[in-house]
Amino acid sequence: MDASRFLFVAGSLVAAILFLAILVFFTRQKSKSRGSSLLLVGPPDGGKTAILSTLVYNQTLPTHTSLQTNASVVAVPALKKSLTVVDIPGHPRIRNQVDEHIGDAKAIAFVVDASTVSRNGAVVAEHLHTILNALTSLPPSQALPALLILAHKSDLVKSGTAASATSESLAINRVKTILERELEKRRISQSGGVAVEGLGEEGERTEMGGLECTGEKGVFNFDTWEGGEVVFLGTSVKVGSGEAEKVDEDGLLSLRQWMEENV
Amino acid sequence: MLDHCSISHKGGLVLWSRSFTPDAAALALSSASPVNSLIREALIEGRTTEEKYEKDGYAVKWTFVNDLELIFVVAYQRILQLTYVDDLLAALKALFVKMFQPFLATFVASLHALNSGKAAVVEAASAFNFADAFDGWDRVFDKLLKNLEEKAAAERKNRLRPAVRPPIEDASPPSEEAETLPTQSPDTPQDEQQISRNVQALKNRLRGRGGKMGRRGSARSDAGSGRESVPNSDSESPAPKRKTKAKVQRKWGDEAPTETDMASLDFSVDSVQESGSSQDLQALVDQASMGTRTRDGMYEVKDWEFSKEEDSAIARALGPAEAEAKTGSLGALGSLFSRLTGLQVCEGVGESLVGKKVGGFQTTNAAVRLALSTSLTRILTPKTSTDLLLSIRTKLSSALPSTQQRMPYSITFVGVNGVGKSTNLSKVCFWLIQNGLRVLIAACDTFRSGAVEQLRVHVRNLGMLGVNGAADSKGRVELYERGYGKDAAGIAREAIAYGRDNDFDVVLIDTAGRMQDNEPLMRALAKLVAVNSPDKIIFVGEALVGNEAVDQLTKFDRALRDFSSASGGGKERGIDGMLVTKWDTVDDKVGAALSMTYVTGQPIIFVGCGQTYTDLRQLRVGNVVQAILAD
Ligand SMILES: Nc1nc2c(ncn2[C@@H]2O[C@H](COP(=O)(O)OP(=O)(O)OP(=O)(O)O)[C@@H](O)[C@H]2O)c(=O)[nH]1
Ligand SMILES: Nc1nc2c(ncn2[C@@H]2O[C@H](COP(=O)(O)OP(=O)(O)O)[C@@H](O)[C@H]2O)c(=O)[nH]1
Ligand SMILES: [Mg+2]
Ligand SMILES: [Mg+2]
Repeated sequence: MDASRFLFVAGSLVAAILFLAILVFFTRQKSKSRGSSLLLVGPPDGGKTAILSTLVYNQTLPTHTSLQTNASVVAVPALKKSLTVVDIPGHPRIRNQVDEHIGDAKAIAFVVDASTVSRNGAVVAEHLHTILNALTSLPPSQALPALLILAHKSDLVKSGTAASATSESLAINRVKTILERELEKRRISQSGGVAVEGLGEEGERTEMGGLECTGEKGVFNFDTWEGGEVVFLGTSVKVGSGEAEKVDEDGLLSLRQWMEENV
Repeated sequence: MLDHCSISHKGGLVLWSRSFTPDAAALALSSASPVNSLIREALIEGRTTEEKYEKDGYAVKWTFVNDLELIFVVAYQRILQLTYVDDLLAALKALFVKMFQPFLATFVASLHALNSGKAAVVEAASAFNFADAFDGWDRVFDKLLKNLEEKAAAERKNRLRPAVRPPIEDASPPSEEAETLPTQSPDTPQDEQQISRNVQALKNRLRGRGGKMGRRGSARSDAGSGRESVPNSDSESPAPKRKTKAKVQRKWGDEAPTETDMASLDFSVDSVQESGSSQDLQALVDQASMGTRTRDGMYEVKDWEFSKEEDSAIARALGPAEAEAKTGSLGALGSLFSRLTGLQVCEGVGESLVGKKVGGFQTTNAAVRLALSTSLTRILTPKTSTDLLLSIRTKLSSALPSTQQRMPYSITFVGVNGVGKSTNLSKVCFWLIQNGLRVLIAACDTFRSGAVEQLRVHVRNLGMLGVNGAADSKGRVELYERGYGKDAAGIAREAIAYGRDNDFDVVLIDTAGRMQDNEPLMRALAKLVAVNSPDKIIFVGEALVGNEAVDQLTKFDRALRDFSSASGGGKERGIDGMLVTKWDTVDDKVGAALSMTYVTGQPIIFVGCGQTYTDLRQLRVGNVVQAILAD
C-alpha cells in the first residue's frame, strides 16, 4: 500500500518536473527567435501576398484581398538559413495587426504599387506614416528593424522616353518622390497644428510622430530620416508563373539579394 | 450561367478559380473584382448581414471552412436568379475538402509558421506544386455544375408544366452495384452512361428503404408514387442503416472521387421532386458520409455544415460538449454582449468562432473575448482618414490653374433638432481657429427662431478668445447670415462664394434640425448638399438616445443618397462622418457609437463632451474597445 503510494507520488513529481522542463524549453526557444522575421506591410493590392507566394512556394499564385495574416518560412539558400516572412493585410480595418508582429521584426518591407502610387499618394503616405510612427516609438531596448520600401509592380511602370533607365529605377524614383511629398504635407499639417485630444487621455500627446528629419528645416526626406536608413528596392512578380522561371531571374532578385546580405 | 467561382485561403492565396466568360476573367484580375469587393465590403467591413452580397450587377455567395481557413465564392449575374448556387457551394465545399484534405492541411500549416515547427514546413512549402495538387478537380467541378444546372433546368420546366412529369425508366436491376462501386480503381473512366447507371442503382436502393421513412414519404401524397421521393432524407434514423452498409475505405489525396461520390451529388435524380434544397442537401450529407466512414465506423467528417440556423450550426460544429461550454461562456459574457447593441457584431464573432479549436491554455471565455476585441477594433477603425486638418490643408494647398479662385473647404452639419449641431459647430470652429485657419460660419438654419442669434453669440465669443498669443481673433471668424425663412441652399451657396472672395479657409454650414422621416425637409437638405457639394457632410447625433441615433443616421444617409442619385448628374453622396454629442451625459454610450460606425462604415470624427469650446474630443479605437470589454 505504502509502496504504491510512494510510487504514485514520485511518478507525479517526475511528470511535473518534466512538464516544467518542456515548458521552459519552449518559452526559451520563443524568446530566442526574437527579431527574426521580415514583415510585409503596405496598402491593399500592393502585392504583399503575391511576393510571399513567390518567396515561399517559388510560384506566384493568383491572389485576392487578404482577410488574415500569413506567416511562412522562406529558405535563404545562400546562407543555409531560413527567415519567417509575415504578410499583413493592408485593409485599414485590419492593418493594425502589424503591432503584434513588430516586436519580432528584423526588417519591415513596405510594399507600394508603383503603378498606382501617383493616384493614391495620400492614402499610401498615411499608411507609411503609421509604420514610421510605430518604428520610432519602439522601446529603446529593441534593435530597430530595418525599413525597406519596395516599389512593386515595376513591370507596369512604363519607361517612357528615357530608354536608359530601367523600369525598376523608374519605379523607385516615382515612389520615393511621391511619398516624400505626401509625408512632408503631413508633417507640415501637424507641426503648429493643435490636435483634438483623445477621449479619456487628457493632456497626453496623441499625435503620430515619426516624421522627424535631421535635414534643413526638418523637411521630410528619406535620406535624413531620424529612424535610420531606408532602403528602396524595385520589384515585380509574374502572376501565375510556375517553376519554369529561374529563381534568380525573377523580379524579386533585389529583394533576395538584400535578404542574403542582411539576414 | 455562372460568372466566376473560386476557392481560396483567407490569407489571400487563390487555390483554384474559374471564370466562365472573358469579361469575368478580365475582371477577376482587377482589384475591383467581385471577390475582392466581397472581402473588403462584406467580410472585412462587415457591411452585409445577409448571405448574399451584390455589387455591380453581380450577386456573390460564399461559404467558409473555418478549420482549413478556406473561402468558396461563386459570382453570377444578379438577374439570373440561380437557384442551385447554395447547393453548389455546399457540394463544392464537401467534395474539395474530402479530396484534398491532407494537402490542404499542410498548405494551411505552411502559412502559420509562427506556431508550428519551422524546419518541416519550409521543406514542404518549397516543394508544393499547386498546378498538380488539385489534379482532377476540374473534372469533378464540371460534372457537379452540369448536374446542378440540368436539375435546375428540369425543375424550371416542371414548374411550367406541372401536369406532365417525365417518366422514369426503371431499367437497371436493383443490385449491389452502388456498394461495390467505390472500390473501383480511380482511373476508371466515368462516362455519362455509367454515372446514370449509378444514379439508377442508388435510386433503387434508396427506394427500397423508402418505405421505412414514414414522415416525409407519407406527407408527400401529391407526388404520385413513392419512387419519386428518391434521395430523400432519412436522417431521422441514420444509425441502423449505417451499420448494415458495406464500409468503404476512406480515400485521400489525388484520387478521383468515387462514382458514389459523384452519384450522391447528382441532384438531377429528383428532377420531379419539387421539394426545397434542404432535403437535397441532407441526402447529400447522408450519402457522402457513407463513403468516409472507416471500418470501425468511428470516423466522421465533422465540419460539413448545411444547416441554415446559426445556433444549431455552432452546436454541431463544436460538438455537444463544447457547445455547452460555449453557451456557458456566453452566459458569463452576457452583460458584455448586452452592451453591444449592434447584435450583428456578435453574430460575426460567432461565425468566426465556429469550427475553431480552442488552443491548449486558452479558456473559451478568453477566446470569445479575443475574437470580440478583434472584431470591435475592426469595426471601429476608420477606413478613411479622420484627419480633418490634413484634408483641409491638402485642399487648400492643392495647385490650381491660375484663372481659378481657390475654394474654401466646406463642412455641413446635419441632424435632428436639438442634438447640438450649432454648439458643436462652434467647437469645431474654435479648434480650426486655433490651427490658424480663417472660418466663415453660414447660418443656414433659417427655420428655428433664435438659431441665427445663437450663432451670432458664438461668433462674438470666438472672436474675443485669443489665438496663439494674439489678444483676440478678430477677422479669423465671421458669420454669414441672411435672416429667416429664406432658402437654405441659396444662403449656403452665397456664403461659399463670399468665403472664396474674402479669402476664408473653411466654411461651416449650420443647417436646421429635421426629423429623419420628414420627406420634404430631407429633400431640401439633399438639395443643399447637391447645390453646394460640401467637402464633408457631418451627421450630428446624441449619445443620449442610443440606438435611436442609429435609426436617424441610417435614414439621413439613405435620404441623402436617394435624392442625390435621383437628381441625376452627380454621383451618390452620403454622410462622410459622425459627431456624437452629449457624451458627458450618459454612462453607457459606446454601444451607440459602435452601432453608428457599423451601419455606415464611416468614422466618428469627433465627440462632444460638454458645453464649452474645448469640450471636443476624438475617439481612440483602443480606448473604446477597452471600455466595452472591461467590466
Ligand atoms: N503586374 C503585376 N501585378 C502584380 C504584381 N504583384 C502583384 N500583382 C497583382 O496585384 C494584385 C494584388 O496583389 P496581392 O498580393 O493580393 O496584394 P496584397 O498586398 O496582398 O493586398 P491585401 O491583401 O489587400 O493587403 C494581384 O492581382 C496580383 O496578381 C507584379 O509585380 N506585377
Ligand atoms: N452636456 C452637453 N450638452 C450639449 C452638448 N452639445 C450640445 N449640448 C446642448 O444641447 C442643446 C442643443 O444644442 P444646439 O446646438 O442648439 O442644437 P441644434 O438644434 O442641433 O443646433 C444646447 O443646450 C447645448 O448646450 C454636449 O456635448 N454635451
Ligand atoms: Mg494580401
Ligand atoms: Mg442649431
